[in-house]
Amino acid sequence: MMSTRVLTIVVFGVVIAAMFALEFLARRPGSRIPTVGQWLGYLMRPRIGRVLIFLGWWWLGWHYFAR
Amino acid sequence: MATDDVPRRRDGRRLPLGAGRGIRVRTAAIGIVLAGYAWAAGSTTPLTATALVFVLIPGVVLAVIACWWPPERIPAPDKLDIIGVSYWAICVAALFEWEASAYKDNSLPWHPSLTDLINPLLEPHIIKSTAFLVWMLVGWALVRR
Repeated sequence: MMSTRVLTIVVFGVVIAAMFALEFLARRPGSRIPTVGQWLGYLMRPRIGRVLIFLGWWWLGWHYFAR
Repeated sequence: MATDDVPRRRDGRRLPLGAGRGIRVRTAAIGIVLAGYAWAAGSTTPLTATALVFVLIPGVVLAVIACWWPPERIPAPDKLDIIGVSYWAICVAALFEWEASAYKDNSLPWHPSLTDLINPLLEPHIIKSTAFLVWMLVGWALVRR
């Protein structure tokens, strides 16, 4: 029987794999799915969106490399 | 040399003779500096001032570039397909929900957070340095958006 820890890891893996699959599908010609760059670019159109996305990027670096 | 091989600016104008080589040399030099910086950053100990400074510097440099010397940006789409975006929204929401539930449970061994799963993977120097380099390149990609 699958332990709860393994189940947790599997769910993380499935979600992250789904994101890679979406990016792959988005890069096909004529796809209606935006690439991660396109929807991030869309969110960064207003200045506040740009600042928040940039802060989120920096926080990730701090979280994984400095603490 | 075929006409199409002539290095051009984004607006289609020709670059001066030798500019293509100059750009390649500059790109290679920047790549070497970034790789060296990432290698040094990968050797820092977490929870130290040195590690914090190594993370602060790229953030400050990119913020300064974004504010005072913004590069030519890749135009964002005017609108997005709502169905297409909803697939992303579901994935992002699922990831945050699963991470939040782990955080709420204090990241117990039976429901570890993504951080607790990733941190051991980042322990080898080469992996941590590579991840740091990728993080910096993602930051540059964001500045160009």
